[in-house]
Amino acid sequence: MDDDRVFKALADPTRRLLLDRLFERDGRTLTDLEAGTEMTRFGVMKHLRILEEAGLVVTRRSGREKLHFLNPVPIRLIHDRWIDKYTEGPASLLASLKNALEDNE
Amino acid sequence: MITTTDQIYQVFIKSSPEKIWQAITTPDFTARYFHGARIEVSPERYVSHGPDGATWGDGPVLEYDPPRRLVHQWRSLYDADMAKEQPSRVTWEIEPQEGGYCKLTLTHDQLDSAPKTAASVSGPGWMFVLSGLKTLVETGTPLTGTSLPAAAAS
Repeated sequence: MDDDRVFKALADPTRRLLLDRLFERDGRTLTDLEAGTEMTRFGVMKHLRILEEAGLVVTRRSGREKLHFLNPVPIRLIHDRWIDKYTEGPASLLASLKNALEDNE
Repeated sequence: MITTTDQIYQVFIKSSPEKIWQAITTPDFTARYFHGARIEVSPERYVSHGPDGATWGDGPVLEYDPPRRLVHQWRSLYDADMAKEQPSRVTWEIEPQEGGYCKLTLTHDQLDSAPKTAASVSGPGWMFVLSGLKTLVETGTPLTGTSLPAAAAS
C-alpha cells in the first residue's frame, strides 16, 4: 500500500535472498526457506513477516502448512510509477515528428 | 488444495469493490488495461476477444459473487500451443480495507497440466494487467507503458 514499506523490505540482503528463493520455486514452507540460510527459524520468520507486511509475500494455508508466495506486483508499481514517465517522452516525440512531417507534405 | 504451481498476486487499490468489479467484468474497461482484450463476464461465461476480434479466451464462470468474488476457467486461446493445454482456473477476490482501499487478490491455479500457460502468465504477465487495472481505476486513465504481451514474454 505504501512504497516506504516496499523499499524498507528490499533494503536487506537476507530478505532479497528469500525473494530470490521464492522466485526460483514458489509456494514454499518456512522449513524449506529456512534451510540454506544461516539464520534461525525465528529470524527467517521475522524477515518473512516484514516481506508480508510490504505485500511482497502472500501466504496461504494448506492443511497444517503455511505456504509463501512471491508477489512482485508492488515492485512493478514502483517501476511503472518511475519508468512510465520516460515512455511518455519518446511517444510524444514521435507524435510531434509525425505531425511536423505531415504538415510539410 | 494449494500447490507450488499456483500463482498469487495481490494489489491494493484505492477504490470501491463495485468499481473494481466493474473494471474486471466490463469490456470497455478491460480493453484499456488487459492487452486490449474486450472481456465479457456473465454469471455463466467468461469470454475474451482481442482487438482484432479473435477469441482469446472462452470458458465457464465457476463462481459469480459481485462485487467480491469471481472464479472462471482460463484457456489461452490467443496462442496455438497454449490453446492445446488443459484449462486452468483464475480467482479474483476483492476485500475492502481501511482508508478507502480494497485488496485485490488474483490466484491462477490448476496449472499443473498447462506449463506453457503458466510460464506465459507468470510474473510480468499478470503484473502488467494488475498494475494497469490499478492505474485505470484510481486515475481514470490507462498506463502509457509499452509492456505488450510479446515484450513481457521475451
